[in-house]
Amino acid sequence: MNIINKILNVDDYYFDVFMSISEALTGFTVNELQSTGLAETYYTYVLKCLEAATFVEFLTVSKNILESSSGEEELKKAIQSEIIAHPGMNDISGKVITMWYLGTWEGAYINDLSYKEGLVWNLMHSHPPGAKQPGYKSWNIKPVNTQS
Amino acid sequence: MNPTHNKKDVIIVGTGIAGSLIAKLLSDHVFDATKGKMVHRADAGKSDNIREISILMYEAGLEAGIELDSVSSMTTYNEYIRTFYREEAKVPNSPYPNLKQAPSPNVLDMEHIVQPYPDKKGYLVQFGPMPFASDAIRVGGGTTLHWLGTTPRMLPNDFKLTEKYGIKIPKPDSDEKTAVDWPISYEELRPYYEMAEFEIGVSGDVSRQEYPITEKTEEYYGNYVFPMEEIPQSYMDHKIIEGLKGTSVKLSSGEIPLMMVPSPQGRNSIPNPKYGKTKVIKAEPKDSGYKLVLDSSEKEEYKALGSVWNPYMGERCEGNASCVPICPVQAKYNALKTLKKALYKMNDNDNLSRNLFMQIQAQSVVYKLSIDQNDSHKISKVHLRKYISKEKTDFVEESIDTSDAIVILAANAFENPKILLNSKYTTPEGVKTAANSSDQVGRNLMDHMVMLTWGLFPEPVYPYRGPGSTTNISSFRDGEFRKDFSAWISPLDNWGWGWPAFSPGSDVAYFIKEKHFGAELREKLTDRLSKQVLFHFEIEQLPNPNNRVTINDEYLDVLGIPRPVIHYELTEYEMKAMEQAKDASDQMFKRLNITDFTKYTAEDKNSVIYNGVRYSYNGAGHIVGTHRMGSKAEESVTDSYCKTWDHPNLYVVGAGNMTTLGTSNPTLTLSAFTIRSVESILADLEIQLKK
Ligand SMILES: Cc1cc2nc3c(=O)[nH]c(=O)nc-3n(C[C@H](O)[C@H](O)[C@H](O)COP(=O)(O)OP(=O)(O)OC[C@H]3O[C@@H](n4cnc5c(N)ncnc54)[C@H](O)[C@@H]3O)c2cc1C
Ligand code: SF4
Repeated sequence: MNIINKILNVDDYYFDVFMSISEALTGFTVNELQSTGLAETYYTYVLKCLEAATFVEFLTVSKNILESSSGEEELKKAIQSEIIAHPGMNDISGKVITMWYLGTWEGAYINDLSYKEGLVWNLMHSHPPGAKQPGYKSWNIKPVNTQS
Repeated sequence: MNPTHNKKDVIIVGTGIAGSLIAKLLSDHVFDATKGKMVHRADAGKSDNIREISILMYEAGLEAGIELDSVSSMTTYNEYIRTFYREEAKVPNSPYPNLKQAPSPNVLDMEHIVQPYPDKKGYLVQFGPMPFASDAIRVGGGTTLHWLGTTPRMLPNDFKLTEKYGIKIPKPDSDEKTAVDWPISYEELRPYYEMAEFEIGVSGDVSRQEYPITEKTEEYYGNYVFPMEEIPQSYMDHKIIEGLKGTSVKLSSGEIPLMMVPSPQGRNSIPNPKYGKTKVIKAEPKDSGYKLVLDSSEKEEYKALGSVWNPYMGERCEGNASCVPICPVQAKYNALKTLKKALYKMNDNDNLSRNLFMQIQAQSVVYKLSIDQNDSHKISKVHLRKYISKEKTDFVEESIDTSDAIVILAANAFENPKILLNSKYTTPEGVKTAANSSDQVGRNLMDHMVMLTWGLFPEPVYPYRGPGSTTNISSFRDGEFRKDFSAWISPLDNWGWGWPAFSPGSDVAYFIKEKHFGAELREKLTDRLSKQVLFHFEIEQLPNPNNRVTINDEYLDVLGIPRPVIHYELTEYEMKAMEQAKDASDQMFKRLNITDFTKYTAEDKNSVIYNGVRYSYNGAGHIVGTHRMGSKAEESVTDSYCKTWDHPNLYVVGAGNMTTLGTSNPTLTLSAFTIRSVESILADLEIQLKK
């Protein structure tokens, strides 16, 4: 089986694994992650940046964790022991989280959109400076999405 | 050598706010040969005897930066914004072209100085002992492209520190002391403040400006409103104000009650109906000379002026929260707006048309002036190097004959002294440098030392939204304590810990390193980021002749032009203010239950130890003082109209003229006295054009 070819095909299940593990690592749902419009870009970007075997290993470990854990608590524990506690896996997971949160990989923005879609801004009820401006006087009140 | 041929009446070096204001005001006036007077365009009528003033501006930045027709300006500006999106370190200069031919000082270049070796990593050559921590930008429109746009006026006492508090500073290389009073008073400058506030388009509420001054607001502002209504204060401001209202802090000088003031700002809000119609700044001829007045135009309502390429974009501040380094919609004022008004005038059909008497030559780095000793030491030539393209460092040497022109240096407080010091001439008494008979050129370099304190508010205050700062604590701007230590102003910052701690990136990194992920990571970050508060203490620096810009043939840029060589240090007066400000911060944090995260370490580039405690500071971008104005030729470079004492056709304008710094951001004040200088320039032009 030629795994590299399968990964390059964005429709394949490794992409789903990437999205699912991203969900577990970032705390944002797959839907929220998709709505950045960057899911496929990020997937192929990581593939380009990491040695293929390393990424495949990360995804394979992730796939096993996702498949074998029933329930959130179990998943959390599995991630802790198999990804976070493992230096190599932890390094990749940190990079993946940072990519979603800030739009950067090793300090560099992936593209213009990745800056604007950094999830850190959503999480603090703000917006990326210089983009997605909320409008006159918006800063004067509590952010709208904190009222609920 | 390739002298530019057609004769010009005025040569302006630099298209920042200082240069653009002069270009705008001069190009609004014409010479009525019948009357022998300069008159405002609107009052000139259709006489055949009208002569336009021909103006040439030189700009060191790229050609693209000064092309202000709608399409070109939008293209260039959007390119700046895209660069900003992509730059990781979003420092003030990050959106703008980094030119090797006209380098800009950049905060990222600042390093520890290990004496006697200078830090020469960037454009500035810094000998220290402390690094000078502020930057500026060399592109069309200058540093207002990345300024924050806070525009308080100076206080009356700021103009007379010697008279009021007995403060004196040493003369260069001498034990003798000299006064630091300005040659003009607040009263005299007040009408020009109004003109500057009109041109910049200041939003604010006069009735809410509360300062520690003996004058009443009515005396300080007169019967006056700002052109636009107050910019709404942030949610965070309200929380802090709630917690501090009616309290005071105790300093070594006694109790100081806290005044939280919504800051006047150069960014668009809602035009204030009370302000009335839009205005015109025009010169009224007097028996001798001219007086500028701010006249109501009967024609039009006052409108907020949006972006250079589309006036309907940026009519209101939209809360982009990126004022420094770039406002995507140009709701924040920048000098390109004024420059465009100089370049385009209404024609008879009320359409904008290109002003043919005004020319801007970009990619032209002015580096030297020639002086004609046989013609009362007039500036006879301006010398520049015009580079060919962004990529290439080849240049064409050019000069322009200025013996019949007025020369105005408006290249900022690093560049003006640099050009003057590079303009050497031999006299029977020895070698001199331009405008420097007082030996004050380049001296008295000042900045606000921005000491930051940061912490976590007990509940979410939702920072990272809105303009950089909407409120300041004005209590420490004046008082008897100035005999002992610096005054300061304390803006509250709306952008979390971005400046001191590189948040939110550093927080993301921190919690990942702490092995958090998933929902827990999300929670931790939300909690930390929504509670971040940042206080500034912008501490006044006194003029000190040893803090200075010099040049040295050893340090040249790629065009072979000297780079600014900086010597900079702090005195006890300023360090004591840091100690007092930290004390004030501690008291305010305690009252607000803010958990203090402030940390000053030996790794900080700018840090001092005072009474055994470390304090770190940043630059404020307020580069001030290097060609001070004064009432005596022996002690200053220019008179109160920014005209050099030494050369009858040379003006030097910008924050460099400021005699002292006070506690206000300098641009409104520099704009006010730069506008005032036009009165003197018009009088000189009248004589010149009568010939
Ligand atoms: C980050 C930051 C924030 C700031 N925030 C505020 C604020 O909130 N409020 C405030 O009042 N002030 C603020 N300032 C300060 C303010 O930006 C400056 O005081 C003001 O812009 C200076 O105007 P200027 O016209 O004198 O100089 P500049 O704007 O620096 O303009 C100089 C012009 O001359 C050109 N030039 C330079 N050298 C040459 C040469 N050799 N030949 C030809 N052309 C040349 C430059 O390209 C530029 O166009 C801030 C500054 C910074 C850096
Ligand atoms: S908050 Fe945004 S819209 Fe307002 S001035 Fe700043 S950058 Fe411009």
